[in-house]
Amino acid sequence: MNNLHLVKRSGNTLVRRIVCYIVAIIISMGIGAILLSVLGINPVSYYKDMLTIGLIGNRYAYKSVEGFLKVFVPLLMVSLALALSFKMRFWNIGGEGEFLVGAMCAAAVAFNFGSLPTAALIPLMCLAAIISSGLIGLAVAFLKCRFNTNETLITLMINYIVLYGVKYFGETKADWNFFLRDDSARPIFAKFPENAEMPGIHIGAFNLLYSVIFTLILTVIIYVYLKYTKQGYEIAVVGDSSDTARYAGIKVKRVTLRTMFLSASLIGLAGAFSASASATVSSSMTNSVGWTGIVVAWLSKLSIPGIFVASILISILQYGCQAASTSYPAIDRNYADLLQGIILFAVLVSDFTVTFKIVKRKEDASK
Amino acid sequence: MADGEYAIELRGISKTFGSIKANRNINLNLKKGEILALLGENGSGKTTLMNMLSGIYAPDSGSIFVDGKKVSISSPEDSVRLGIGMVHQHFKLVEAFSCADNIWAGVLNKGILLKKDRYKEVEDFAAKFGFTVDAKKQVSLMSVSEKQTLEILKVLYNGARVIILDEPTAVLTIQETRKLFDVLRKMKEQGHSIIIITHKLNEVMEISDRVAVLRKGEYIDTVKTSETDEKKLTELMVGHKVDLNIERGELRKTTPLLEIRDLTIRGDEGSIAVEGLNFYIRGGEMLGVAGIAGSGQKELCEAIAGLRPVEKGSIVHKGKNIAGLSPKTIFAQGIAFSFIPEDRLGMGLAPSLSIVDNVILKKYKKGKGPFVDRKTGRKEAAAIVKDYEVVTPSIDTPVRRLSGGNVQKVLLGREINSSPNVIVTAYAVRGLDIHSSYMVYDILNEQKKKGVGILFVGEDLDVMMALCDKIMVMCHGRLMGVVHAAKTNKEELGLMMTGALDLTSKSGKTAGIASDSALTMEEWERGPEPAEEVDDDE
Repeated sequence: MNNLHLVKRSGNTLVRRIVCYIVAIIISMGIGAILLSVLGINPVSYYKDMLTIGLIGNRYAYKSVEGFLKVFVPLLMVSLALALSFKMRFWNIGGEGEFLVGAMCAAAVAFNFGSLPTAALIPLMCLAAIISSGLIGLAVAFLKCRFNTNETLITLMINYIVLYGVKYFGETKADWNFFLRDDSARPIFAKFPENAEMPGIHIGAFNLLYSVIFTLILTVIIYVYLKYTKQGYEIAVVGDSSDTARYAGIKVKRVTLRTMFLSASLIGLAGAFSASASATVSSSMTNSVGWTGIVVAWLSKLSIPGIFVASILISILQYGCQAASTSYPAIDRNYADLLQGIILFAVLVSDFTVTFKIVKRKEDASK
Repeated sequence: MADGEYAIELRGISKTFGSIKANRNINLNLKKGEILALLGENGSGKTTLMNMLSGIYAPDSGSIFVDGKKVSISSPEDSVRLGIGMVHQHFKLVEAFSCADNIWAGVLNKGILLKKDRYKEVEDFAAKFGFTVDAKKQVSLMSVSEKQTLEILKVLYNGARVIILDEPTAVLTIQETRKLFDVLRKMKEQGHSIIIITHKLNEVMEISDRVAVLRKGEYIDTVKTSETDEKKLTELMVGHKVDLNIERGELRKTTPLLEIRDLTIRGDEGSIAVEGLNFYIRGGEMLGVAGIAGSGQKELCEAIAGLRPVEKGSIVHKGKNIAGLSPKTIFAQGIAFSFIPEDRLGMGLAPSLSIVDNVILKKYKKGKGPFVDRKTGRKEAAAIVKDYEVVTPSIDTPVRRLSGGNVQKVLLGREINSSPNVIVTAYAVRGLDIHSSYMVYDILNEQKKKGVGILFVGEDLDVMMALCDKIMVMCHGRLMGVVHAAKTNKEELGLMMTGALDLTSKSGKTAGIASDSALTMEEWERGPEPAEEVDDDE
């Protein structure tokens, strides 16, 4: 048993990495298939429905695409924003809270200035989200710079504070509470005025929201920002060694404050987009994007193209399961979470095989 | 146990990491009760080979014999069971534990309970080998040499008969090294076999019975120490004839470039690290700084580079006071700084970033617009790799993947490429092999010729006496005197380093103050005019 040992691989690993990831996904789907078969469901047709996110044989295929984008856009944007702070080794795990703050502030603008034209109202909502959420990021960074607090704990706690804050607004029926519907005795979040709904470009029946276009442009901008700009370079140096950054004349505190403001405000913006696209808010609207975003960012090793691809895959998985569950009532979106877990696990294992190989020790002849 | 002449015998050992062949078909043997020195340049595979003996790596092929019996070592526990112990270059101690607990943590089959008598037991055990230790002292409060003693004790306590020491003297002073060698000789008398890895040839000659030489992962030869000399060993190690004389660059000094007066600096814990220090460097002059580790060298360097606040006093560069300015401004004045810390990576480099990104570190803000100019950076990185013979797969390789010597070359190359007029360099050859060390000396001499003033903080007195023009000695943060390198000797320096000899008040005038200072007495008293801060905004 001592004859096997691990050896680090060398050479170009990109192709190997891709192959390993694909194999990992196939294996996990195989495990998923066993679970499906146990439930008496034909895995082939289920996977077909899931992977095509219900596009095939659907008269309202455009609805599927719209639904997919509703999952994809927030996930992509939050993952990108988290990558900004993670590059700096600043562990912002407050995505959930920052997302909700952005959404609620956008909603506050929507309910109070509903009479403004869309072209003014939507940017105003986005601005409110960016500033409110960004300030939270700034506050966390300030505490870290000033008192060297632990950002992981603080951002984590922000999630709960904000979540219960939203619940408070959602469950308190009062005259001042403009978030709720006037015509219902039970507290229910109201629908946004029409002007506050995210507009889009109509391609036939399909409505391509401006928020989608903006997010795609933003992906390219962040890619360029991190890779080619001076500020992006500063983030990399600060993340790698703050002593070295200080020594090179980089103002570490300023970079930390700036980057955390950017990171949190982008997450807030994602919240505003999401609220505006669905024309309402709720305490469950994040769809756990603050957590999934962490997974996506790490899965892609903080590479922006990687984040783009991983977001698409995870969104297909999540929305696909949702879509497929319409034809298979025995299965709901929990299956998506389960499958997601198995896939993540398999990909992590395959990561290991990308870096190492197991070889047998050669015995030489000179015994 | 008595069968076989050799305590350890390695036959045909090979080990590859990716595409790098760290060890190729190595045959090595260690006789019982001898001290074997393992010699080789950086990256010749010494540490890898020893790590296979201590169970950290497993060989790809080949066999290991202990006391004539073939064994398989696949974990550190196996190695301990076979009586092999290794003292690593980077100590493997639990900082928050006491001395005794660190020893206990590694003992196999010790039971669950921590016994109260462990402190006494450890102290008694230590006394057997002539060590005096405080078994209750926490590791974080220990000096480097105490930590090393603890590492050796740990190995002995585990019953090791074969002890491997990886560059044990790199972090020790001369006195501490002597003490260590006494201990090693004592262990040898008691029948232990010892392998010692070191770069310092004089130590090899002093302590070892035989010397085994590796070169580029291959075994070259084993020779008897008594039948060889430093020159022959170097040739074996490098593979060709080398000139072992360090050249002292011609001295063409100018007026004082950097003048330090009455400088007081606080250390990390708030205590005074440097007190009332006076000295100056002229252009074209190399001033060595000698002192026991922790005598304020680090704080002094950091203060000059602007990384540490100055409590009192002035640092005058070309007639302007730079004390208290930002690191960036000081760098812009032409003061380059290369400090090689113990881990060789901590200061001045971003380990995960590529060579290119590290080369542009200090000037990424130059040029208009929001984008970093990597084009020039790439050219410069390629030039540094070529000029300084940096061994690297490409200029996009992260710096942490390079071996120690190459990392240092990148750092030094970047600093010198900024065409400085003062170079502050600390431990520039720390851990470097002979070839690379001489290259660094050449680079520094080259700069000196150009009229650059150099502050050379070093460890090896022989090197400083041969390379520098003058040597300034510090003890507990105070100046003990400045001596001419060619006229002093090791004994005098040693006495000054320990504070037994103070030359500062010998001749009436205060040592360390230039007679042709850039400032007049009135200007000094008024306080030198501060230099202008560089605009920091993009």
